[in-house]
Amino acid sequence: MLEVRDLGFAYQGQPLLFDGVSTTVPDGHILAVVGRNGAGKSTLFKLLNGLLKPEDGEVLVGGKSISGRKISEIAAHIGTVFQSPEQQLFAGRVEEEVAFGPRQFGLPANQISERVSDALNRTSLLDQIARHPLDLSAAERRFLAIASVLAMRLPVLLLDEAQRGLDRVWTERLESILEAERSAGKSIVMICHDMDFVERNADTVLALGGRTPRQIPVPAFFSDTEVLAEVSVERPTPYRLREFMT
Amino acid sequence: MIEVIDLHVGFASSDVLKGVSLRVAQGERLAILGGNGSGKSTLAGWLAGWFSGGTHRLTAGGCLWNGKPWDDYTLVERAATVQLVGQFPAQHISGRAFTVAEEIAFGPENLGLPHEEIVTRRDETLAACHLEHLAGRDPFTLSGGEQQRLVIASALALRPKLMILDEPFSNLDPEARSHTLSVLNALPADVSVIIMDTNPDTVLGWANRLFVLHEGKISEFGNIRATLFDPTVIATIGLPAVTRCFLEIERGSGSAENLSRDNLPLTFVEAAAILRRSRSA
Repeated sequence: MLEVRDLGFAYQGQPLLFDGVSTTVPDGHILAVVGRNGAGKSTLFKLLNGLLKPEDGEVLVGGKSISGRKISEIAAHIGTVFQSPEQQLFAGRVEEEVAFGPRQFGLPANQISERVSDALNRTSLLDQIARHPLDLSAAERRFLAIASVLAMRLPVLLLDEAQRGLDRVWTERLESILEAERSAGKSIVMICHDMDFVERNADTVLALGGRTPRQIPVPAFFSDTEVLAEVSVERPTPYRLREFMT
Repeated sequence: MIEVIDLHVGFASSDVLKGVSLRVAQGERLAILGGNGSGKSTLAGWLAGWFSGGTHRLTAGGCLWNGKPWDDYTLVERAATVQLVGQFPAQHISGRAFTVAEEIAFGPENLGLPHEEIVTRRDETLAACHLEHLAGRDPFTLSGGEQQRLVIASALALRPKLMILDEPFSNLDPEARSHTLSVLNALPADVSVIIMDTNPDTVLGWANRLFVLHEGKISEFGNIRATLFDPTVIATIGLPAVTRCFLEIERGSGSAENLSRDNLPLTFVEAAAILRRSRSA
């Protein structure tokens, strides 16, 4: 379980971006973070994974506070797939990229290789094992970043626009990974601009950029026209179509 | 006018484009749809004259702007003629500008334009792209969506005759998306625009012509419906969101009308008309 309590943050010389933001992502739950460009979605992720330090409040994983710990210690609890995978990939071979994380845990070689093949299999990248990460297509690079995080087998996953620019085939692959991780009891937070994707996959929504960010169940969020307008979010297609039927 | 003639290109050990031919006349608005890995970004790069040599391998064919290959133009001529906005905005930022305003001026400065012209273009672009409130910010501190808008603005400041945008809307909120479309629609009539996308929704109602890139080959079907309902297109990029959700609703409720690919709704307006009719029937 991931808990965020009364988070406060401002970039230097700028007004307060977050003031008392709280949210809870139970085990086996997907929270979608939505809001207009520049609302602070990616900043929230950096406060969760330790790349930025909150001014107030704390972040807890499994009931224990991780605030103030080193990034490497936080990375043993929270895995992040960043918005641009090319900025997170660094190895010379696909399998090296995926093995890097589990290796930091000091696991024996056979367990590392089992985790690498499992993660690459789940992301449909097994046949790319020997390639250079930056020779992969954009979708494959994104899934390689996902595989690297899956291989860590962490309780909390952060995905920043992981669905962006994916075609039908890759979108369905991502959705089945999300479903499997949810069933495995992971706490998942995804930043997402695609409201149809949010409607299909998330349990609750945290909308940033409005007056008071609150965590709202998906159906209630998309039925609240006031909040939707405040945070500049479109209703998902099924909601808009059903309007025509009533 | 840009012309692609039987373009065969590869990258690393694979062939990416396997004989692509395409002609884009002045002022056309063209969308090229394709799944991930279909070669869209490679085609975009060749259209913009980015890849001659290097790791990108040309085996046959080529691209001509007004009858001449890009290699025959100087860098300045090419930059003033064609601009490509790729999928990764952070990779476009020059790194030579401390502010958003300087970043937009960077291109016109490198064209060697007079100072007043650079300032005019910078200020007009800031206003047209609604970036004035970010003018003094460091480009690298912007959010992903804001960077995407800055990169589009920087390209427009060069006043190109051909704009190519590779998935330009995927990172934008609804307001920014519709504003970006209106900026593209307000371009002078002789500017051609090509949008590459995996998602049919973003280009429906915008494009004059719709192409599909699949396994390195390009096709133009008879019309937009024939394109979107092609079985390969449905299997790779999927139906438009409205059509897909409409079919799901229909399966549950049953409709009074016979629906086929000739009259299935592609847009909210079309869906609303059918749903209202079936409700009153």
